[in-house]
Amino acid sequence: MTGVEIGAACIVVLVVLIMIGMPIGIGMIVVSFAGVTLIRNDVVAIRMIGSVANDSLEEYLFAVVPLFVLMGLLVTISGVGKDTFDLFERLLRRVRAGLGVATVFANAVFASITGISIASASVFSRVAVPEMTRHGYSRRFSTGVVAGSSVLGMLIPPSLLMIIYAVLAEESVGRMFLAGVGPGLLLSLLFTVTILILATWRRSSVFAGEVDELAVEPQSVFDSAKKGIPIVVLVTLVLGGLYGGFFNPTEAGAVGALGALVIALLRRSLNLSRLWDLLVETGQVTVSVLFLIMAATFFSRMLAMSGLPNALAQTLLAGSIGPYGFLLLFLVLVIVMGFLIDSISIMLILLPIALPVATEAGFDLIWFGVLTVVAVEIGLLTPPFGLSVYTIKAALDDPDLKISDIFLGAMPFVFAMMVGLAIIVIFPPIATWLARL
Amino acid sequence: MASDPVQAGASEGRRRRTVHLLWLRAVDGLGALGTIMIALLMAMICSDVFARNITGGSLPLVSELGALTLVMIVYLQLGTTVRNNRLARTEFFLALMENRSPRTAAFFSGLWELAGAAVCGAIAWSTYGILLKDIEHREFIGVTVVMTMQTWPFRVLILVGVAVAAIQFVVLAVRSFLKASGAGEHRP
Repeated sequence: MTGVEIGAACIVVLVVLIMIGMPIGIGMIVVSFAGVTLIRNDVVAIRMIGSVANDSLEEYLFAVVPLFVLMGLLVTISGVGKDTFDLFERLLRRVRAGLGVATVFANAVFASITGISIASASVFSRVAVPEMTRHGYSRRFSTGVVAGSSVLGMLIPPSLLMIIYAVLAEESVGRMFLAGVGPGLLLSLLFTVTILILATWRRSSVFAGEVDELAVEPQSVFDSAKKGIPIVVLVTLVLGGLYGGFFNPTEAGAVGALGALVIALLRRSLNLSRLWDLLVETGQVTVSVLFLIMAATFFSRMLAMSGLPNALAQTLLAGSIGPYGFLLLFLVLVIVMGFLIDSISIMLILLPIALPVATEAGFDLIWFGVLTVVAVEIGLLTPPFGLSVYTIKAALDDPDLKISDIFLGAMPFVFAMMVGLAIIVIFPPIATWLARL
Repeated sequence: MASDPVQAGASEGRRRRTVHLLWLRAVDGLGALGTIMIALLMAMICSDVFARNITGGSLPLVSELGALTLVMIVYLQLGTTVRNNRLARTEFFLALMENRSPRTAAFFSGLWELAGAAVCGAIAWSTYGILLKDIEHREFIGVTVVMTMQTWPFRVLILVGVAVAAIQFVVLAVRSFLKASGAGEHRP
């Protein structure tokens, strides 16, 4: 067998193993080990597994993973999300389906202090869903809006997915963060339009009963604006520090986590045992992400050794499908894999194969990254395993709420994301303008 | 099964429980160490930022130490992550199997856990070689004269973490295969 054939066989076997439930990281290591053994020999394979396990994670940049996860979990419990929502609820109370739009905007703002979508989904399912159902919105719509807008969490910086893409594509994390801003705003806009369309032409899908007038709360605009202070402080601290040149992404994560810790302590939403629980959870998320990155490093080294990515680039680009045919194929593949596999794994499996092709095709890798992230995030909302949807179900903990209802509610937002994806494909500057400035 | 002497069975059971409890403690202890390191990592990096931006002098070794701390965090907590079934995987096939035939599902879980044990075992084996080399060549991080640190203690922790994860996989695999063979059905 030639190297290319071995590489291709490894990919097929990997997909089968993953489908029948083997942990993804373990699967990647097993097939890579077998691949290297076949291409070279078992001595090389065992040496590679050791060096990958010991060296591939020894990067200062990766420390950003636990730090941003910790920051996300801390702001989740600190009540900052609720305040943001309150502020927008007040500002948008005269707008049609204003609470839905408020959820989208609050998510967009909250996204700028969290890098993980599950944080957004769990915060806003507790904050926004009860408020919307209380005011006569249907359960399906309210949970759908929360699920849909939670994807903004990993698009608007900071973002765990952007960090992982930056690592794989050897792009700067700072630039990838900036590249998410335009598409994040575009999606917020598209989500708002979706809500307004639904509320105007499909009223029954939005409202369950009589919509009551939002009671004007006695607090003044000044009081609600005051609630925005912690979030503004955190954003300034993290993004301001990062782009002001005071620190690098890892340090932004550390300072952000510390800032979130201070805010949580000031608001008395944290005691020692709760902090410990958050640290433990941070650890588990970190391990599962970084173990995957380690496994993917081995996988991509094996693929590079096999020569498959280059061969694939030549065949695909010289053939009849061309660069844009490849792009379409890639995005469809990402979305289809999103039905079954989690976001980070998809990126780690596909990008080692796709990035050399994208480079060969002459694509702007920042733009390609943004497209990848948006396409991957569609998988957060699609059945049977949309992570955001399950997070909402778990956070609400209501036996009457059916998973299928949340999926149906999120469906309009899946379409909005597809539209967004198409717009970014047609107008790359939405993603690249800010990043290349 | 029914012919087992009750007495011997009971004391055997107690011994097994003690070993199991010690094992749980050991895995949890390593996990806790990893958890504390997350807080340390944050504190360390923040001090570096403040030192640099306020007093103008960067702390030595922070970036190397930060990178190594991260590796520690991952390997020390690998055991608990494995036990809590938190490694990323697709659930739908196993969930489908679980409905049709729980024993077949257990058999497949067992297979994956064996694969996990093999992977972690291979990493541990290879890391042992690296550890010997580290000690032999006195590998260190940092800049000579300013501040240096030997790397072997870190390597030992990595080795322990991976080895524990490998054993944890074996424990899970044994449990799954017992379930698959139907041994667990008599117990409540």
